[in-house]
Amino acid sequence: MKRLRFLSIPYWVWMALFVLVPTLILIILAFSDLNIYNPGSFRFSFINFRIFSESYLLKALQNSLSLSLVTTLICFLIGYPVAYYLTTLSASVRRIWLSLLIVPLWANMLLRIFAWEKIFTPGSIFSDLTGIEIDLLGTVPGVIVGMVGMYLPFMIFPIFSVLEKMDPSLIEAAKDLGASDVNVFRKVVFPLSIGGVVSGVIMTMLPAMTSFVLPARIGLGRINLIGNIIESKFMKEVMGSGALSINVGSLISLLLMIFSVISFIIVTRFDKEGETLI
Amino acid sequence: MKRRARKIRFLKGLGIVFTVITFMLLYVPILLILVLSVNNSTRSYGWEGFTFKWYLTLFQDDIMRDPIMNTVSIALLSTVIATILGTIFAIGIHSLEKKHRIRMVLMNNIPIVNPDIVTGISLMIIFSILSLTLGYFTVLIGHIFFSIPYVILNILPKLKRLDANLYEAGLDLGCSRFGGIWRVILPNISTGIIAGALMAFTMSIDDFVITYFISGNEYMNVSTWLYAKLAREGRTSFTPVAYAYNTIIFILTLFIIIFINRKNEKKGRTT
Repeated sequence: MKRLRFLSIPYWVWMALFVLVPTLILIILAFSDLNIYNPGSFRFSFINFRIFSESYLLKALQNSLSLSLVTTLICFLIGYPVAYYLTTLSASVRRIWLSLLIVPLWANMLLRIFAWEKIFTPGSIFSDLTGIEIDLLGTVPGVIVGMVGMYLPFMIFPIFSVLEKMDPSLIEAAKDLGASDVNVFRKVVFPLSIGGVVSGVIMTMLPAMTSFVLPARIGLGRINLIGNIIESKFMKEVMGSGALSINVGSLISLLLMIFSVISFIIVTRFDKEGETLI
Repeated sequence: MKRRARKIRFLKGLGIVFTVITFMLLYVPILLILVLSVNNSTRSYGWEGFTFKWYLTLFQDDIMRDPIMNTVSIALLSTVIATILGTIFAIGIHSLEKKHRIRMVLMNNIPIVNPDIVTGISLMIIFSILSLTLGYFTVLIGHIFFSIPYVILNILPKLKRLDANLYEAGLDLGCSRFGGIWRVILPNISTGIIAGALMAFTMSIDDFVITYFISGNEYMNVSTWLYAKLAREGRTSFTPVAYAYNTIIFILTLFIIIFINRKNEKKGRTT
């Protein structure tokens, strides 16, 4: 099939156009006063870095890190046992459970967030139907529960896919050699599943860190994440006063890109073929 | 005894409990949307009786016609184009030497790992540099862009299982280069292509973040339409028609999944 190699060339070009070029422009925007809508002469400067002295940005960075870490940790603690439990089921039952985990992801994200909003509002249709009153709107726990509800499947799938491929006789062998359940997990199962855990952590943490609709709605705008700042810089402030708001937004996005590059390097360490990503 | 010894008991026990929690976290919001779609109330503060009228309104009225048409047409078109391109690229990537192939697969994974907001902004920037007006066309390109990597990831494992000599044999027997792809390679990777296409379709029909950044002021899909209602008009509830739409899409995808499962099961039995 060597003679079909040329078919991959257009993909290089395509990716260069949509990944490489925008990244370079983003870097230029972040370090200059270039006007994206009227590109002309521009000067390199650190003028956009003034944003880092703004307390709202620092607060958003801090929120993004802490909320996404807590969300990821909870997702891991819940997701790992779930993924393991699924592997103990028979193949046909397993397929049904897996499908049931995927299906909710196909409901509209905004409506799901809106449903959480209702659930967290006392006196809403949710409390009318169930008699349960939950008052978490505008609070950090509310945002975290919402995020766990949104991103949990992204933790379960990659872990499941490595656990499923694991040879069950390994566990049997460890047990025959006298290992306790805890030690089987600690010394055999967990180390072998680390690749899935890494993918799961990143597939949960990055979306959580960058979400903006969920914190805006469930947090009632009180809890801003870095995604909210980026949205505001690119979509809202442009029409108003900030001529350089896109440049400032680019700088913040660059920060986010550094995170995703680090994540990317870590994922590819464990999973060269990207098998745990789908 | 032996069989039971294969399992880690405490992990399985936790797993059962957490599976229940997981399903509650995932399905309570979904069920609430379902309830809202048959609730006889426009403001959805309380339960006011069962009705199907929102489903009828969805088909008779044009409140949501444009956003729905936009969403469906982009989803269909981008799926077809991304599947064709993704298949071609996947065959090209698979034919490379190992070192180059791994590099290509890594590159292919960038958009998958990248947060949607970064992808959205990158696309927005390249479109503005190219002076393209944000709208239907840019959204189409964007959806093709984020779908292709998933199509490729679904096809590559199928290609790996295909004996490369088959293609060479096809050529020896008189197939042209592309005839060989059509007659030998494609039939063998068709399940991967279908899986990739379905994935692309579901990603496109539900996308909000990327579309939001590259759609401009005129074009709206269902998600950006809903967001505009919430953000700009400061609403605290949608028209229940939106819940009806979502429920229909939801049931449709449910059927697609059941269909695929049935097919897989049949295949599992015969082979």
